[in-house]
Amino acid sequence: MLQGWRFRRGLERLAQCDVPALRNYARADWPERAAPARQARFIALDFELDGLKDNAHLLQAGWVPFTVEGIDLGGARTFDIRSGKRLDDAAVTIHGIGEQRAREGAPLADVVAALLGDLAGAVIVAHGASIERGALQGAVRKLHGAALPVRAVCTLAIERHLSPRLTGTGSYRLGAARNRHGLPDYDAHDALTDALAAAELFLAQLRRLPADQRLGTLEAMTP
Amino acid sequence: MSSEIAQVVAFLRETPPFGALEERAIAALSRTITVRYARAGDRILQAGQHNDWLFVVRSGAVELRLAGEELTARLTQGASFAYPSLLRGGEVRNETIALEDTLLYLVPAAEFHRLRETSPPFRAFFSDDEQRRLRHALEQRAQGRAGGFDGASVGDVAHLGAPVSCLPETSIGDAARLMRQHKVSTLTICADGKLLGIFTDKDLRNRVVAADVPGTEPVGAVMTGNPRTLPASASLAEAVALMASGGFRHIPLVDEAGRLSGMLSATDILAHLGNNAIDIGLSIARAQDAEALAAAARRIPESFAAMARSGTQPAQLARFTSALGEAAHRRAAQLAERELGPPPVPYALVVFGSLAREEQLIGSDQDNGLLIDDALEPEEGAYFEALGGRISDILDACGFVYCKGGIMAKNADQRLTLAQWRARYARWIDNPDEDAILRATIFFDMRCVHGEAALVHRLHEETVSAAAANRIFVSYIARDALRSKVPLGIFRNLVLDRSESGEKVFDAKAQAVVPVVDIARTLALGHGIAAVGTVARLRALSELGHMAGEDSESLIDALAFVNELRIVHQAGLAGAGQRADNAIAPDSLSPLEREHLKDCFSVIRRGLDSLRRNLAGGIA
Repeated sequence: MLQGWRFRRGLERLAQCDVPALRNYARADWPERAAPARQARFIALDFELDGLKDNAHLLQAGWVPFTVEGIDLGGARTFDIRSGKRLDDAAVTIHGIGEQRAREGAPLADVVAALLGDLAGAVIVAHGASIERGALQGAVRKLHGAALPVRAVCTLAIERHLSPRLTGTGSYRLGAARNRHGLPDYDAHDALTDALAAAELFLAQLRRLPADQRLGTLEAMTP
Repeated sequence: MSSEIAQVVAFLRETPPFGALEERAIAALSRTITVRYARAGDRILQAGQHNDWLFVVRSGAVELRLAGEELTARLTQGASFAYPSLLRGGEVRNETIALEDTLLYLVPAAEFHRLRETSPPFRAFFSDDEQRRLRHALEQRAQGRAGGFDGASVGDVAHLGAPVSCLPETSIGDAARLMRQHKVSTLTICADGKLLGIFTDKDLRNRVVAADVPGTEPVGAVMTGNPRTLPASASLAEAVALMASGGFRHIPLVDEAGRLSGMLSATDILAHLGNNAIDIGLSIARAQDAEALAAAARRIPESFAAMARSGTQPAQLARFTSALGEAAHRRAAQLAERELGPPPVPYALVVFGSLAREEQLIGSDQDNGLLIDDALEPEEGAYFEALGGRISDILDACGFVYCKGGIMAKNADQRLTLAQWRARYARWIDNPDEDAILRATIFFDMRCVHGEAALVHRLHEETVSAAAANRIFVSYIARDALRSKVPLGIFRNLVLDRSESGEKVFDAKAQAVVPVVDIARTLALGHGIAAVGTVARLRALSELGHMAGEDSESLIDALAFVNELRIVHQAGLAGAGQRADNAIAPDSLSPLEREHLKDCFSVIRRGLDSLRRNLAGGIA
């Protein structure tokens, strides 16, 4: 109840701001939290970050829109994001984006504008969605000084809900969760691949939840 | 922004027929795809529905339930489905259910049609006609083959130009000096430009020196007369088969007028191919006792595996293997005669079944018999009893194991005089009954491998015309052919046969080759065609207008494709020193091979259907 009210209030504030991308986002047709999840539009989103610290930089973004009817790969987008900063060596070895490539990427403002355009009226889906939500909100605050209200569901949280008693490190990782739903192995740590992987996982999870599963209930699971 | 979806592109690249598209086209295609998920038990398509997608199984498995029948087909990763509905404008006729949790890639109908227009491999793969798909597959495989047989003629590898030659009146001494002067091991003997014989180093040793023939005698008296020849245009494969079965290393080449135009030696072919079939053929033909013969014949699987590895075409490989088998049978009979003394009356060693059709691969048991001249006196029966027993024993030691059905010269009912054989065939033809026919069909594929060929020739001709004249008999063998269980589809681990089946493998011989052989035999006998080889029978049927050319070629293609799978399978077993069989696990096949195998089944089933319509009802 309160979450819905907080999101509406956030949108109203955003609508007052003078950034067109944010105003359009605020005025979009947003799904009701009480509506069935199977009627919503989703954006599976993944960021590759320069480490996991609060001040980590966005290096790559990948997203793909989908509904319960399917994932439209024609709408998939992926960007390397420009950064002049020295990169965290440990993170570079994971995602393979070196400083050279980071310097040649698109400006963060362009990537955020494109993402907000697609995200208007859609719910973010990510494995560990709090990371993507936090990173996106941080980028908008840095670029425009505005607080971005975000709708998100977390496939990791849903997986814990569906299979609550798994033990062993890694049982809830994206790859392990996908295996449980009969989904193929993908190479990890490319933003678009991880986004697609999360979208497929969410479709599989949705098939195991009640047909009238409310969107708000799933959103409320997101930490 | 990158323009492709890496994981999807990587999958399509490995998946037929998408892998045949250009890299750019695959990247563009990846962006048109919609990904869908189905949980086990979900209905993906329903008969009567309208469909606008080509479905590709990315992971998991689905089951196609063919409308109006209890038949199903299971499709797994990499398989495409629902294209027949796209080809007929969207009308879905088959129900599709997810058997496992399944991830599907959906290609829009418009994209599917565009690719069919722009890419010939794509069009051929999704042809509405499995005959065309199969043809395309064979062409693709032939292109990928490394072996040097395709298209090569003996003229391409032989030493052309007049070989060293002399007149038959030339003295042996002069002939030998001529050979030394030209450094050749083979001399041709000609008169008036016509080839009369050849004279080799071996002849000099065996027929001159060892036989104390003086060097002043004419070479014509010691040469090998009427040698086997080939035209320069003959295929290399034919030459290898001739050398392997005859156990010789030189074949004179002649032009249209019969004039000598060159000499082909085994060395020429070996240099070209690295094929040891001729060597094994020679060891077989020269084996001095049963043990030496068995040692040589047991190398046939090794030669088979080597030829399969070098990419020899299936039909040629079967021809060579049959040639070596024939040589082993002939030598077994010669050695048995050497032990028992010359036969009291003329006889022939006849082979039946695959060896008679020259379609033998490795691992076959023996199917043979003796056809004895009618002049046989009762007391001479003991000779042939001993001869037949000895031949079967030698062949068993050679790897042609005893026939489980008893079709071998060791058994009395396989050692008959011409009159007795005639009576036996007449019983099958004039009073057919289902049980007898079941065991008799291979008797209608016969060939003489040793002895009095004229006896076999007569029996075969009489049999073919008697069979053609008896519609009831033909309907019986047609019905026998219809008993074969051609699989309806391929499941991940097993080939389903009307939904109840515990078999985990597919018997490539019984379930695909035998039905094609049966179709060809039945129709050939029905129309009085004397050819014995399956391909020869099918070609003759189409030439004489008894079968559509397209149908006959499709059956030939299906046979070639399945035989290729068998050959790879058997070569693998032979390489591992295991006994050859025909049990192929569908899991060992690539998705593309499974697709083509399904096309083969459908071509064969159609052939059987046509047989059912045309002949099986002939009794009513």
